Amino acid sequence: MLKKFIPFFILFALIGILGKELFYSKPNELPSALLGEDIPTFALPDLFKPQKLFTHKDLKGRVALLNVWATWCYACGMEQSMLLKISSEYHVPIYGIDYKDNAEEAIAWLNQNGNPYVMIGNDKRGDVAIDLGVYGTPETFVISPQGKILYRHVGVIDQAAWDETLYPLIKKFGGR
Amino acid sequence: MSFFLRILIFISFFNLSYAYSPSSLPSDQLTRFQTLTKEIRCLVCQNQNIADSNAPLANDLREKVFTMMSEKKSNEEIKDYLVKRYGEFILLQPRFNKLTFILWTFPLIGLTCVLFFLIRFIKPSGK
Repeated sequence: MLKKFIPFFILFALIGILGKELFYSKPNELPSALLGEDIPTFALPDLFKPQKLFTHKDLKGRVALLNVWATWCYACGMEQSMLLKISSEYHVPIYGIDYKDNAEEAIAWLNQNGNPYVMIGNDKRGDVAIDLGVYGTPETFVISPQGKILYRHVGVIDQAAWDETLYPLIKKFGGR
Repeated sequence: MSFFLRILIFISFFNLSYAYSPSSLPSDQLTRFQTLTKEIRCLVCQNQNIADSNAPLANDLREKVFTMMSEKKSNEEIKDYLVKRYGEFILLQPRFNKLTFILWTFPLIGLTCVLFFLIRFIKPSGK
């Protein structure tokens, strides 16, 4: 008797699996195999003082965020207030990579809207972004005190993402 | 400034806008470049390869492939570099490994199951 139902069980299992993939998978979210690895070495001119260099070594010492952004990126503007809040209320250092942007416009934009960044590298050609596996801005990496990539957040950081994912992770690794 | 000088300067600026020039490659390398960029997915326009796409990211990735080729990196090294950063998804034809094991073997397993059920459950008629 039970044997008759076996094909139905298989069918429902298949519908379940396919349905889950169809409705709940996030095809735009790409995995990053860089997690747990050292951040790629880089040296970019500082946005404000181009003769100074911003390198991967600047990120070491404490848990830090590395945020890839640009003034032409609409979503990055939406993230701005959250970044300011993170640096002023949560005291987590945020470093920036200005991705394929115009330096003067970026500086003007930061002066007008506030600057949450400790230091910003000017990635005019987008090389460092490719080394990091960035495919859309904004993207934010959580960097351990040893300079390893702990987490990659694609898209705007909102309060929910901060409270539920990023901040617990930062606290776990000794950030404030 | 003479007219021709202006033209020359204009052309030189025009050329500068291309940071890389695959068309200057020797023909075997050019073929390699073209084949390789056809196997890499454009991530912001997911059903295109980077050879066909005009998206800025596709252009950057083409440039990266070109740079790595000029650094005498092998195709495998270039693909490994990209997969490490963007995941297996960036290759239009997934490679055979632990992650894609089911993907590649499923048709074979499925076919075996079907054959098994056919032999097991279908009785010859007329008897």
